[in-house]
Amino acid sequence: MTDVGFVIAGYAVILGGAALYAIALGRRLRAARETSMKIRRDAEAAGPPDRTA
Amino acid sequence: MKTRILGFVGLAAVIGAAVFGLVVVPADLNQGDAQRIMYPHVASAWLGELSFGVTALAGIGYLWRRDLRLDAIAHAAAEVGVLFTAFAIWGGMMWGRPVWGVYWQWEDPRLATTALLLALGIGYLLLRRLSDDPARRATRAAVVGIIAALDIPIIHFSVIWWRGLHQTPTFGDPSKLLNPSAPGLFVIALMGMLAAFTIVWCYLMIRRYQLARIEWQIEEHGRLGRISAARRAAALNAVVQETSE
Repeated sequence: MTDVGFVIAGYAVILGGAALYAIALGRRLRAARETSMKIRRDAEAAGPPDRTA
Repeated sequence: MKTRILGFVGLAAVIGAAVFGLVVVPADLNQGDAQRIMYPHVASAWLGELSFGVTALAGIGYLWRRDLRLDAIAHAAAEVGVLFTAFAIWGGMMWGRPVWGVYWQWEDPRLATTALLLALGIGYLLLRRLSDDPARRATRAAVVGIIAALDIPIIHFSVIWWRGLHQTPTFGDPSKLLNPSAPGLFVIALMGMLAAFTIVWCYLMIRRYQLARIEWQIEEHGRLGRISAARRAAALNAVVQETSE
């Protein structure tokens, strides 16, 4: 591989990896927010917590 | 919204710094085009070490204050730190092959101690998966995070203390910082890439911290749900026993 090939491989993995991680992080955050919202909606639908239990 | 803007600014800055490093800055007289890998490699290495420094400081803060928000910061920094340390190693390998003639050499102290930091970071993240109890998990993780950070000064001084393939620091002392041995354009490219990566690092840290907080809330809800279900089951059991007597 030529020097330019190593440069391209270096930049592609680093910049591409950072971009992929940012996208994956965004998806994980969105999924977690949706789960959190669902829990909140379910809790509101179930009414106040049962204090006798 | 502000975090999203930070993300776009980081993206634009990285593109600008990459174009500057790849197109504007001339190739090095001795190293040729391979020198261009130094910009993301060095920036990644510095931010990887910064991340584990944050993990250790947040871990110390957690052990002192027992605040789970500090544990979330430590967790976020460790994950981002593993990413940037892996980038630094990859960049170093892509630079090492054309310049040194080898991708990797275990005998080199800088390379070996950096690999150790990556292993400790991965170990930190794996350790966090072993316990469901947030307090116990945060305590164990804080201890490992502090131990991992002990490697950072060793990485820094390894090129001074021991002989190896890796060169000594270009910006090691204040006099070199003001009057670096590298040409001006190379320093601008490196500092530009460092600034761009730092913005991206801030963005990723904020996002990962937000995720850690939400994950903790979901986990806490699940734990409370299990406790509540267990209490209801125990109460039901007691009623069944009473009625059967």
